[in-house]
Amino acid sequence: MNKIWLVFMLLSSAVLADSKQPDAQYCLVCHGSAAQGNAAIKAPNLTILPDWYLRQQFIAFRNNWRGSATNDAHGKEMQAVANTMNDAEIEQAIAFIRRQAPVKLPISVNTTANVQHGQQLYQQCQACHGAQGEGNAQLHAPPLAGQHNWYLVQQLSAFKNGWRGNQNDDSYGQIMRQFAQSLPDEQAIADVVAYIDSLPSTQPLLRTSR
Amino acid sequence: MSNYFKAPLTRRQCLSLLAKAGSSSAVLGAAGIFGLTNTPVNASPVTLKPLQGKNRKVLILGAGISGLTAAYELERAGYHCTILEASHRIGGRVLTLRRGDFIDELGSPQICPFDDAPNLYFNAGAARIPAHHTGILHYCRTLGVELQLFSNHNKNCYTQDDAAFNGQPVRIREYEADMRGFIGELLAKSATSGAVLDQPFDEQDLDKFIQFAQAYGDLDSSLTYRGTDRAGYAAGGVTTAGILKQPRPLPELLRSDFCAGAMHFAEIADQAPALMTPSGGMDSIVKAFLRQLTTPVQLHCQVSNIQLQPQGVAITYLKQGESYTEQADYCLNCIPAQLVSGIENNLPADYVTIMRQLGRGKLTKIGLQAKQRFWEQEDIYSGISWTKQDITQIWYPHHDAFKAKGILLGAYSWEPQISDRFAAMTHQQRLATAIAQGTKVHANYAQHIENGVSVCWQRMNHMLGCGAVWPEELQKTGFQLLQAPAGNHYLMGDQLSMHPGWQEGAVRSAWHALADIERREALRSTGAQA
Repeated sequence: MNKIWLVFMLLSSAVLADSKQPDAQYCLVCHGSAAQGNAAIKAPNLTILPDWYLRQQFIAFRNNWRGSATNDAHGKEMQAVANTMNDAEIEQAIAFIRRQAPVKLPISVNTTANVQHGQQLYQQCQACHGAQGEGNAQLHAPPLAGQHNWYLVQQLSAFKNGWRGNQNDDSYGQIMRQFAQSLPDEQAIADVVAYIDSLPSTQPLLRTSR
Repeated sequence: MSNYFKAPLTRRQCLSLLAKAGSSSAVLGAAGIFGLTNTPVNASPVTLKPLQGKNRKVLILGAGISGLTAAYELERAGYHCTILEASHRIGGRVLTLRRGDFIDELGSPQICPFDDAPNLYFNAGAARIPAHHTGILHYCRTLGVELQLFSNHNKNCYTQDDAAFNGQPVRIREYEADMRGFIGELLAKSATSGAVLDQPFDEQDLDKFIQFAQAYGDLDSSLTYRGTDRAGYAAGGVTTAGILKQPRPLPELLRSDFCAGAMHFAEIADQAPALMTPSGGMDSIVKAFLRQLTTPVQLHCQVSNIQLQPQGVAITYLKQGESYTEQADYCLNCIPAQLVSGIENNLPADYVTIMRQLGRGKLTKIGLQAKQRFWEQEDIYSGISWTKQDITQIWYPHHDAFKAKGILLGAYSWEPQISDRFAAMTHQQRLATAIAQGTKVHANYAQHIENGVSVCWQRMNHMLGCGAVWPEELQKTGFQLLQAPAGNHYLMGDQLSMHPGWQEGAVRSAWHALADIERREALRSTGAQA
């Protein structure tokens, strides 16, 4: 019994050590003190994103699926960091992000957006991202509810203009790019984001065990 | 006009060309990102009244120049300071790189590869001090920082522009002499033709004015520019008679953008000679502060929460993965605003909204170690060469002439798009670019360069920018709000000055906050509400 307890203690302290690597604090410089995102740096809220999606995006940056466009300065910032990290460091970073306590985000309402129109537009999104913007691991679609509206606008624009979803081997990105291209203009993007913004934030979910 | 004008030009064309030569304000505005062109007036150093037994605690977030200034002044008056610094080093954007120094750029970490020698250092951040920056000079004087002369302007340096002179570098001396000759001749001949100035202008004034134009351009007795020894001689000039260089045709001079911008760089109040810089590197100022401080600066302390309280401020920070909270009467916050906006806080909403709108200054500097001081063979000692390529500038060391090796500044760009291009490269690509572009200024550049460092300030960990960029409208509406305390919390640093990117801005912002603390302490001691 004592031995089992000791093993358990050692294991949990190892996990703790992993998630407390000072290096992982790097994430919080850009993404905010609790990984809640930072508008000034254009860094998204990581706390709503499940492990599998965070992992997938590290791969996307490494594969040049994100950050390769010449003018995508913010994407390039993250890409440079992703390129310096090995698989173990990526897992440490994800574990570190998971340990951050949720933070209440400031509400910023876009008064020029048409939420009703956004709701109509969102119907084509919900097949993958879920009716509540909760995401779908099987379809590799991230949660959207609880993400910063400026970040959603930025990413829809990135898909639309080809900064994302423009590489042959990025099949999920390509699918998203088609939907983003179906949004005719900035107003449509603003409307659909305003609707997503109105959805109650779902807790981080579908934490798939590896 | 003289035969100096190889292509026929009408008076109107001349005037419009002159307008081009004079329309430097936009370019200078960009060049002046490291300081607005207005000259700050002298300020008296802040003197805090000693606390005389009262117990006051101050938390200082960030150990750059503003934080160090505040800590030094507060300690002297008996305040108890705690200094928390997020990064691995002290000094903020006062960063002097020497062999073995770690450059903590997100995604591009480097170790400085320079040889280990006292003269081989690179000021990757602050590099020069104008004489009217009396705040930072006050500390240089009182803390014993030895200064050397530093110059942005050296007529023996080059200007290079692919659009002019077949892309060949031209000595600034020659370019400026010819440009002044042309302008002088235009002025003198316009004046003699009578149709010049609106205001009362008598014969004596006119004579003086023509003398000025003649001296300005070094014109001959017929008020014609035929070349000048200001440009240096083509041959002779010491034991034999000097032979003047042939002036370059005006239209060729105007094909270079030099006349519309960089030629006037050293006219900017903050950039004009004579400037100064500490011997041995700008971090001599940081070391001087540290010699005085009794409180150690705590490194690797990353602030995660700022909570205003009725009687003070509580700060939570992460250190080696552990979370700690400290409370104090006052908090002096020198963290870049763009990072504060990502830290949990209960600061007023309008305060945080302004911080989110501040831009991140994008600046890149590249330092290169040269195994020979080849510039000395070209009569260059200190100063800046200019090129229209992305590297923009090459600086030559102002110190340690004739030593075996030297550190050049191989690139300095403050244009956001250019700095983005450098940031997108790997460190090795940046060095290769700096060397390739420098080769247009110095033909054998590549064979002289041994190694180098690159610093993209918008990517530097715990900073992510160099100098807050205030949109003009926001500065009008938001600057004073951000400068004022929120409860017992003060935001500081060069970001809260009209001199972003200058140490003077950092010192004065600290003095501004300390003066307010002094006022509140005086009120407290009289029992009044602070």
